[in-house]
Amino acid sequence: MTDTIRDLIHGNASNVEAGAALGALSHGFHLAAAKDFTSDIEVLNYALTLEYLEAEFYRQGNRAGLVSGKEKQYLMQIGADEASHVATLTATIQKLGGTPAGAPAVDFGGAFDSRKSYLTTAHVFENKGVGAYLGAAGFVKDKMILQAAAGIFGVEARHAAVVGNLLGLKAEGGVYQGATETGIPKADVLKAVAPFLQDPGKVVAAITY
Amino acid sequence: MGIKAIFGGRPVLEFADEHSRRSFLRNAALVGVGATYVASQLGDPLAFGDADRGYAGDAAKSDLDILNYALTLEYLEAAFYTAGLKANLLKGRELELVDPIQQHEANHVTAVRTTITDLGGRPVAQPKVKFPAGTFANRASFLKTAATFEELGVKAYHGQVPLVKDGAILAAAASIAGVESRHAAIIAQISGGNPFPAPIEANLGMAPVLKAAMPFIAK
Repeated sequence: MTDTIRDLIHGNASNVEAGAALGALSHGFHLAAAKDFTSDIEVLNYALTLEYLEAEFYRQGNRAGLVSGKEKQYLMQIGADEASHVATLTATIQKLGGTPAGAPAVDFGGAFDSRKSYLTTAHVFENKGVGAYLGAAGFVKDKMILQAAAGIFGVEARHAAVVGNLLGLKAEGGVYQGATETGIPKADVLKAVAPFLQDPGKVVAAITY
Repeated sequence: MGIKAIFGGRPVLEFADEHSRRSFLRNAALVGVGATYVASQLGDPLAFGDADRGYAGDAAKSDLDILNYALTLEYLEAAFYTAGLKANLLKGRELELVDPIQQHEANHVTAVRTTITDLGGRPVAQPKVKFPAGTFANRASFLKTAATFEELGVKAYHGQVPLVKDGAILAAAASIAGVESRHAAIIAQISGGNPFPAPIEANLGMAPVLKAAMPFIAK
């Protein structure tokens, strides 16, 4: 596990207090750099890349025989959700006349060495996903696409909370990340997932889930 | 699922006095619940690209209307958890998980209320709710009602996403909605429910959400 990932796990977003909440909230859409995305299709392809990464992560993780029982059931469902997000985003991009990004070539390193490393990495992915959607939301122009993206964002938050709870993390700062979610700029998200990309920009043939 | 089935046909809230009831009804009237309510408009999860499926009845609402609607729901949630925790039904890990939820809801009340005031609007009054007998009788009934509230709250926020006009307010609402999703998942996880009911959050328009509470207002 890289230092970046370790930092992500321990450097949880600070809690936003009531008085500061509004100020923080109103900055939620301004975290990403002004030119991060120039179209809805770009935002959707960014989301698609992250969803590909997550879907493949759970596909491999759930084959590694690290979890069982209820826990396995949850992780299978989470993996199915991510695969569903891939399909939905791909169809939407095509509908808009865009070209969907390909599945990135990935390498999850030692993430599947143990149950703990699997869940810990999953927790990072999910919280990064939550932050990525919120950070990019301000760039979405079409309100109905925004609603669907928000709908995915909410489900990523569910995943993050449940995985955090499976790990037995403390409630606040582990399961929950404060009273409000915090957006993460594109550059930070890409930096966080970089260790899992074999060769940034390299894509593999379409994966069927 | 019919509206009445949302809370299992059980009353979930009563207003402690006439003033609170009227205050709630004013807000309900603001969004067209009550006599003018005609059809149950259950929201399916909106698929990408289904651009014509917003809640037409809500489209004319201002951001302030939407914020007051959110404030009403947050008031109810905060009051619910405050009463539930006071009843001392949870312990250990469950208590640790639910305790921050009450703090989050109280925090949301403050954040939404402040936002309304900052925008020059008038926040709705806090309803003094009285939860019917049995709601806090035991751990199971508390968590069951909590699950209902959280899922309803999630759907309520997502129903308004395409209607909020101001970007900053939308960001605020989204960042709260994500936390409601975490609550819904955790409550489901600890009470034997399904933390992941759908790959994309479902949503509901204002009328059905408020309608879910309306039948249970005590005279």
